[in-house]
Order: sequence, then structure tokens, then C-alpha cells
Amino acid sequence: MDEFLEQIRLATQALAEFGVHLFNPTIRLGVTGLSHAGKTVFITALVHGLTRGGRFPIFEAMATGRIARAYLAPQPDDAVPRFDYEAHINALVGSRLWPASTRQISELRVVIEYQSLNGYQRTLTLDIVDYPGEWLLDLPLLTKTYEEWASESLRLSRQRPRADLAKDWHLHLATLKPEGAEDEQEALTASRLFTEYLSACREKSYAMSLLPPGRFLMPGDLANTPALTFAPLELSSEGPPPAGSLWAMMRRRYESYRTVVVRPFFRDHFARLDRQIVLVDALAAINAGPDALADLEHALDQVLNCFQTGRRTLLSALLRPRIDKILLAATKADHLHHTSHDRLEAILRRLTKDATAKAELTGSHVDVIALAAVRATREATVRRGRQQQLPCVLGVPVAGETIAGETFDGETEAAIFPGDLPDDPKELLGDDKSNFQGLATASPKNADFRFLRVRPPVLELTENGILALPHIRLDRALQFLIGDRLA
Amino acid sequence: MNKTWRHRPPAAFRLDDDRVVVDRPGEARSAGNLVRIKPETEFDALAITVQEQAQSSRRGLHWGTLFWTGLGGLILLAAGVAVADLITDLFSRNRELGALGLALAVLAAVSLVVIAVREIAGLMRLTTVEKLRQRATDMIAGDDRAEARALVQELLELTRRMPHLARSRVNLEGHFGEIIDGADLVRLAERELMTPLDQQARALVSAAATRVSVVTALNPRAIIDMLFVLASALVLVRRLAFLYGVRPGALGFGRLIRHVVIHLAMTGGLATSDNLIQQMLGHGIAAKLSARLGEGVLNGLLTARLGLAAIDVIRPMPFAALPRPTLRDLMSEVLRGFGDGDERQRSPEPNLAMPEVP
Repeated sequence: MDEFLEQIRLATQALAEFGVHLFNPTIRLGVTGLSHAGKTVFITALVHGLTRGGRFPIFEAMATGRIARAYLAPQPDDAVPRFDYEAHINALVGSRLWPASTRQISELRVVIEYQSLNGYQRTLTLDIVDYPGEWLLDLPLLTKTYEEWASESLRLSRQRPRADLAKDWHLHLATLKPEGAEDEQEALTASRLFTEYLSACREKSYAMSLLPPGRFLMPGDLANTPALTFAPLELSSEGPPPAGSLWAMMRRRYESYRTVVVRPFFRDHFARLDRQIVLVDALAAINAGPDALADLEHALDQVLNCFQTGRRTLLSALLRPRIDKILLAATKADHLHHTSHDRLEAILRRLTKDATAKAELTGSHVDVIALAAVRATREATVRRGRQQQLPCVLGVPVAGETIAGETFDGETEAAIFPGDLPDDPKELLGDDKSNFQGLATASPKNADFRFLRVRPPVLELTENGILALPHIRLDRALQFLIGDRLA
Repeated sequence: MNKTWRHRPPAAFRLDDDRVVVDRPGEARSAGNLVRIKPETEFDALAITVQEQAQSSRRGLHWGTLFWTGLGGLILLAAGVAVADLITDLFSRNRELGALGLALAVLAAVSLVVIAVREIAGLMRLTTVEKLRQRATDMIAGDDRAEARALVQELLELTRRMPHLARSRVNLEGHFGEIIDGADLVRLAERELMTPLDQQARALVSAAATRVSVVTALNPRAIIDMLFVLASALVLVRRLAFLYGVRPGALGFGRLIRHVVIHLAMTGGLATSDNLIQQMLGHGIAAKLSARLGEGVLNGLLTARLGLAAIDVIRPMPFAALPRPTLRDLMSEVLRGFGDGDERQRSPEPNLAMPEVP
């Protein structure tokens, strides 16, 4: 019944927007990505490129000069903060720092004035939403009951290497009786320990991805509310919980988390996307090791299954917007030499194989690229001794990064060889995946891959004297995502 | 170190380290087993391997070829003997006359060789263009970066002698330093290099079609019509070939015409299916107005279709990023020009009229 009402609500919303879009063509671009995948940088680079005229040879409308101008316009939702584009671009260009983690949702609208191929003057509005990547993991909860979620979380937490991190929480969990009377203090402790376990999993050396609920890691304005004070319980029996029990309390809070937090988030920002780019930081997972990579695969699978994909038809536009183009982008491609980009793409294709097959079956177009929205490195070949040649990237590693026993101070430029990605992704993702070591199991000196974070580049000037951000395949991404709507 | 992972381990080299040398272009290389870093401005370090095209399916002896070779040889021999006889004859009459005859014969022989070389070059250019198009088509499917780069280099070479593409070439070369995938690079090259050429080709075809329509409609003698249609068709194909950089010789031109006619015959059926009704309708209405006018429109239509087939055969790239010109929009131009009379002939494109860049 609840679900049915929600569908009606979504349909009404879609119908109302359809009328507006008829006169004012709009694309809602979903920039999807787990935390630290590079959403904020991608949006900043995209907006900068569009409004300031970036170097986009593959983005046909811009390369042939059909885009007259693009500018920022007031966003449609008054209740949502504005994406602070100016601050982000200044941090990138001025102090050469990457943006900090996104803590709350924000929105931006770009209006593109262009001339269509047959000569008409038109405008296209592009709505982009930025949000903390942690929250994305809430979407799969929409279809799970408390019991399902609890047993799944417990199962995950007992696997390697999470079991070590969850030790404290597990000890406390053993003292709890689900059928016992509800107790606020116990709930508070459980939720605190559970949250600690989740954030420990997220540490760089473990780089786990599948860590719902997202608000536990990035609470936004809901910190310390009862909706965020619950945790999984060890449930032995089926059926409805006894009234007044701890189980009933947890279950009630989980339900209100879904209705207060997850559902509005989905309704306002994901249920009405037209195009989607999924940013995946596969390199961080490879850095951490096989377990992180497997975890990323599960997280992506769960998240991608939440989206409505399919061919765009009149009926779908009227009642339930669908995503007809999905671009899967392996971000931070500038951390490795371009000769390895195809391998990175193969790895991402393999990570998202099931979700991709499903989306293509419904008629959506799916493409996979290796992307760097802002390219922070140059490329070089290093010759060591007589024979050995290493394809490297040149850049300034962020302070504190280590590789092969060397620690960087954030000022020195270095040539980095991060390790050879295998031609066949099965070597990383197959059943015998434990044959490479990441930071989770080995010291930084012995890890088989070290993709270092690199500081933003010193910027060059274009002919017009405007700063142009270097990138890798951002123009191809734009061509795929909005090129056909600018025809 | 674990032993199960058989790939190279990660490494880093600080640029301020004494043992590290950064190569700068133009500097002499010092010996020694230091670590040497070579920054790549372009992907020149890439070994570009171009796969050999498969041999053409026609293999082995062909009786036709043998016949023409034999006959040609005989005629050449006969001519040689005749010339030799003539020169001996001239020498026996008068020494100076003989010398003059010999000089003329040498001149003729040398120019024959030059002509033959150019003909062969023309034929080879035609083959090159066909191969380029085939490779570009494969590249868009295959998306190979190194091969696409090699292909675009060849295209740049082919268009090197077209002065009005100077800017497009520079633009395209400027993108070589960036990381662009194979298929994208081919599409980019098509957009940069072919857009101006396509525009001119369109103008050429529609101008020829308009001319043919007008002449057919105004001319009272059928035989002159036929000759004019034929001549304009040949001129059109030749101009298009020069426009796209093929520059065929006489033999090459013969082969080109053959390919165009074959292409026309092959795609004619396809093209009719979507255009026939509308063409016939247009022709029918024009014929109702005046028999000559109808004939003119029909002849113009044929010329335009021939032009389109020629573009398909001559263009060194497939139509991937740019739209293929259609008979419909060409004919609408023709009819517009036709309605306004002959004085509103399309002026030549500004690019053609521009002085050559020294």
C-alpha cells in the first residue's frame, strides 16, 4: 500500500515536470558515485568546461562552435543548497587542493544556449545534484526489511577483514537480548559501536564500499536523532517482535529511517533522472586489495539495481522517467599511464557486468570509459638500467603518500609507476583473487599496487587567457551523456 | 614480497634525486646506468604497428589481364620496331634528320615513362583511399588507439596539399597530445578534415545537377542533351576526385568511373526504396507542366545521384560523425536553383576562391 502511494506520487511529479520540460527542455544528470569517487571534482570540471569553454574536441557541439554560451542559472529547488562551484574551482586552481568530502546535498543548474544542427536557436537546461557518496548506499535499503538488513549486515561483518574491525561491536552485540525490554542506553551504545565499525572499514587501507546505512557515516542534519540510533541485532526467531522489546524499537527506528531519510532522498534526486554517470574509484579498491574490490562489486551491483533504466518513450516520460543512457566511468585515470586505460576499463566492465547486462536488456545504452575530470599528471617513460622501461605518470603526490618505502611531502614531483594492471581482469577479480596483496593485508612497501593521490595540476592558459582544466575523456563523457540532446 | 603476483611491482622516482635524469629534447644523452625519465609530450614513444590489409580476393591468373598484357606488349613492340625502322631510314637519308628523329623518339619514350608512373601513382592513390576508408570503418568498430593515430597521420598526409585545410590540420595535430580513443580520434578527424570538403562536394554536385536540368529543359536537340549529361557527369566525378585529394590519372579515372557505376548499380535499389515515390511524384508534376521540364528534372536527378555515388567511392573516410548528403536535400537545392533560373547559379565556395597559402 505504501509502495503504491509512493508510485502515484512519483507519477504525479513526473507528469508535472513533463509539462514544464515540454517548453523548456531539461536533462537531469545523475552524478552517481560512492564516497571519494570524485563527484564534486567531476561536476566542477564539467561546469567549468561548459561555461568557460574547455578543450573538448570530442564533444561535437562545443568543438564545432554550436554552443553559443553556457551559464549558471538559479536552481529549481529552493530548499536545497547551491553547489558551491566558485569555492571548489578556486580551491582547485588557487591552492591546488582537492575538494573535501561532501557533507550535504547541493544542486546546480547550467543553461546551454546552442544552435541545433538544422539551424534553430535552442536552450537546454542541465540539472546536476551533488551529495555525499555515503548516502547512495541507502538506496538498496528501500527494498529491505529490518530483519533482512540485520542478518545481511551481520553476515558481512563476520567476513575477513571486517571481523577484526567489528570486534568491539560484536562483543556488545552478544550481551543484547532482542526479545528483552527496550533500553535507550543499550541502543545508543550499539549504534555508536556499529558506526565506529563502519568508519573503520572505510579507512584508506581497507577501502570497503558496502557500508549501509549511509547517514551513520555522514549524518548531515540528522545526527543524534532516534532515526539514526539503531543497529543490527542477532535475531534467532521469525515473526513479529514482541511489543516493547529492543527488537521492536530497532525495527521501528529502521522503518522511520527509511521513510524520513531514504525515501525522500530517492524521490527528490534519483527517481527522475534522464542520464546517469556512475563514477567508480576502482583504483582505491585495487590499492586496498582483493576484498575491497569484491566489496566494491557488491556495492555497485546493489546501487545500480535501484535505478529505473530503459528506453525513453512518451509513456515513460509521462509517468515514470527512465535512464536511457548510463556511463560507467573509472575515475582518476590520470593515476596510471594511458596504455593501461583499456585494462582499467576492462576491470570496471567486469565489476559491473550484471548491472550492465540488465540495463542493456531494458534498452538503455551503456558505455564504459576511463576518466579523469581533472588531469593532474603528465606521462613519462622511465628507463632503469639497460633494459627495463616503465610507463609512468609525473605528478606531485599529496603529502603523506608512501610508495616502495618512500614518503612524499606534497611538494616534490615524482615519476610514479603504480604497478602493472593485468590484461585479464579475472586475475584481479577471479576466484583465486587472493593472489595480489593490497594495503589491507600487506605493508605499503609490499603492496602490489600503489596508486598515489596527486595534487591538482598547475594550470595552463588557453588562447583567450582563461584557465582550462586538463582532463582525460571528459569530452567523450559529455558527448555520450548530452551530445544527442544538443543535435 | 609475495610470490604469487607475477607483474612488476610499483616504484617511484623523485625528480630532485641525484640519480635521476630527466631527458629534455635536444640535450645529448649522457651514458651511465642512472634512472632516466623521458616526459612524453606526444605519444611518440608508442610503436605504431599498422596491420597489413588482407590481400585482395582476386588471386591467380586472369585471362583478361594476360590478353591485355600480351596485346599491349605486341603493340609496344610493333611501335618500337616501326620507330627504330623510321630512325634508321632517316639516318640513311640525312644525318641531321636522323639525329632529330632520335631525339624526338627519346623525348616520347621519356614522357611515356613519366605518364606511366603518374598513372600508376593515380591508381595507387585510388587504392589508398579505398583502404583508408575501410580501415577507418574498422577503427570505429575496433577502437584501437595506436592504429587510429597511424590512420589519421596518413589522412593528414593525403590532405597535405589542400591549402584551405591548413587550420583544420593544425587543430587536429594539436589534439595528438591528448588521450583520445581510437574511434573518437577517427570521428574527430572526419569532422575536422571532411566538413569543408563535404560542403564543397555538395555545392559541386548540386551545381552540376542544376546545370544539367536547365540545359535539358531549354535545349531542343536530344543528342546535345545526351552529350551534355555525359560530359557533365564525367567533369563532376573528376572534380570530386580532385576535391577529395584522389587526383587519378586517365587509367585511374577509368577505374573510378567503373567503381562509381558499380556503386550506383548496387545502391540504386536501396536508394529507390525510400526516394522513388517522391522522385516520381516530383517528376510527374514537372512533366505535367511541361515534358521538357520533366525531362530536365529527371536528368538533374540522375546527375545528383551519380555525384552522391562518386562521393561514396572517393571520400577517404566513411560517413560516421557527419551526415551523408541525401538526394532529397540536394534536389531541393537544385529545384530552388532551377526555379530562380540560371542566373542564380551557386557561386563557388569562398574556400576555393581563396589564394593559396604560400
